[in-house]
Amino acid sequence: MDNNFLVIENISKSFGDNKVLENINLNISKSEFFGLLGSSGSGKTTLLRILGGFEKPDTGRIILDGIDITNLEPFDRPLNYMFQSYALFPHLNVFNNLAFGIKENFTQKEIEINVRNIAELLSIEHLLNRRIKQLSGGEQQRVALGRCLIKKPKLLLLDEPLAALDKKLRSKTQLELTTLQKKLKITFVFVTHDQEEAMSLSDRMAIMKNGLILECSSPEEIYENPKSLYTANFIGIANIIEIYKKDENFYSDDLGINFKLNKELKNTKTNILLRPEKIKIQSINNLKTSLFNSFSGEILEKSYLGSFTRYEIKIKNMIISVLDQNFNSNSNYNFPKGEKVICTWESESIKALED
Amino acid sequence: MKNKLFEKYFVFSPYFWLVLFFFIPLAIIFKISISVSEWGMPPYQDIFLFDNGFKINTTFENYVYIFSDYYYIGSFVNSLILALISTFFCLLIGFPLAFYIATSNIRLRNILLVLVVIPFWSSFLLRVYAWKIILQNNGILNVILLNLGIISEPLQLLYNQYAVIMGIVYTYLPLMILPLYGYLNKFDLNLIEASKDLGLNRIKTFFKVILPLSVPGIVAGSLLVFIPVVGEFIIPEMLGGSDRLYYGKILWEEFFVNRNWPGASALAFSGIIILVLPIVIFQILYSRWSQKNEI
Repeated sequence: MDNNFLVIENISKSFGDNKVLENINLNISKSEFFGLLGSSGSGKTTLLRILGGFEKPDTGRIILDGIDITNLEPFDRPLNYMFQSYALFPHLNVFNNLAFGIKENFTQKEIEINVRNIAELLSIEHLLNRRIKQLSGGEQQRVALGRCLIKKPKLLLLDEPLAALDKKLRSKTQLELTTLQKKLKITFVFVTHDQEEAMSLSDRMAIMKNGLILECSSPEEIYENPKSLYTANFIGIANIIEIYKKDENFYSDDLGINFKLNKELKNTKTNILLRPEKIKIQSINNLKTSLFNSFSGEILEKSYLGSFTRYEIKIKNMIISVLDQNFNSNSNYNFPKGEKVICTWESESIKALED
Repeated sequence: MKNKLFEKYFVFSPYFWLVLFFFIPLAIIFKISISVSEWGMPPYQDIFLFDNGFKINTTFENYVYIFSDYYYIGSFVNSLILALISTFFCLLIGFPLAFYIATSNIRLRNILLVLVVIPFWSSFLLRVYAWKIILQNNGILNVILLNLGIISEPLQLLYNQYAVIMGIVYTYLPLMILPLYGYLNKFDLNLIEASKDLGLNRIKTFFKVILPLSVPGIVAGSLLVFIPVVGEFIIPEMLGGSDRLYYGKILWEEFFVNRNWPGASALAFSGIIILVLPIVIFQILYSRWSQKNEI
């Protein structure tokens, strides 16, 4: 795969004294669905706006399909930008919104055909004569998407594409968006603050914080093997435990137990990540705690989530989250509050964090 | 019950206002305009006479008189042209200014708005008079140009229609900027970015997105400038010359110099009808159009 379809090189940007982006480097492949994930103020939207041409970077350059587009105006860039607010033109109907970007270079008949095709693709043929205000949020999102796709861009930038939709519609649209992207093979770069959205949409994603890219990898890799403490906490639920070398093994003061790792650590003292679903929870009657990688604790809180039950288990000075899959509808599998349980995990499930 | 009465009054209060300050004065003017003139105080006869039984004493001669003399029609046309040109220039200068103010950051925006309003704090007469000082033959502008060697003798800048247009544009500019600002303030700047993103350059974006979406502000500002400028008296009087006669001036002379109240009233009444009727029709059509287009 051509890894250099979109190259973002040393991009920095400040607004006054406020450094928004610091030396951003990213390579994005053709037809990739790439997510920029970060909380507000992380600089993700600024980066997307720089790609769109609405902001000029202080340093660095952007190369799209071999062409340096850093200094091109938005209207000269072979890419399109879908706004979070959709920015549909209120004085035009759906047809004219869709046709807006192709009116210049096409004949009336070609416009007609193109609009019909894109409307069919997004199943909005019945809305073509509507005014923008007469559309629901989901319909507006489709029109905004169609208005961009009709231009057949090399790159589509999406600013929080699903944020304005309600939850049920969001998961449906999520699926449609990935299907559409795979079908059209257009490179998508999108921005979101919603980790679930980022995980489900992205082929690869970058975690941003304070104008820096902390990590860039596939969602699986980032979830399973995060490098930084921030990422581990930001994505999913995380149990972070500080351990240090003691004799041959590692020991946690907070839990008062020994850890056995399947590989050596660089530092003598480090934070480890233990995802809640990796922990097996068992009744105390069934077995005894072993020397390593297990503890017994008391169930402090319990919330039934349908496919999972989430337990908060207190042990010594810490509360550990555990997600237990509800294999069986037999309620005996659920542990009541206050019950003493034993938790165990595999050595491979322990991930050491670099910082 | 009391509340309802209050509500009713509240809803109708604009109409009371309209009746009290527009229709009643208009009716009085109309009454005078169809009276017969005479020397005396007031300088017209009553329209209802009760001397030898009841008699209606009206005439439409005043209307015939003003519509048959190009002196009156011509001055009205001059005023319309003046108002059109002035409105155009106010829009040309006011739109970019209003847009700039509306899109600048909040601190700069407040400073700029104050700067727009500040001239209102000083007397209108004084401000127009100041232009006289600037533009006259030994005025500031001529002195500067002479000293710079750009001209060898003073330019005749004052007492012509250009000075009048300039004075009006200067005076009425805030009336254009403020309603435009009020409207552009709500403008979604993402729409401009979206247009550029879809391949339209700045000029095309202006004509396809900014301009069509600014129509309500442009209409409001333009009417606010156009209507009073048609009847403007002081600025042409102070800055204008004898090259052009304007409606306001003729009206003044008819009332106060010729003491022809019925004639002046006929002129005023005709002017209002000619001006207001098309604007009312326009407003009705326009509000229908904007409702349909949801702007």
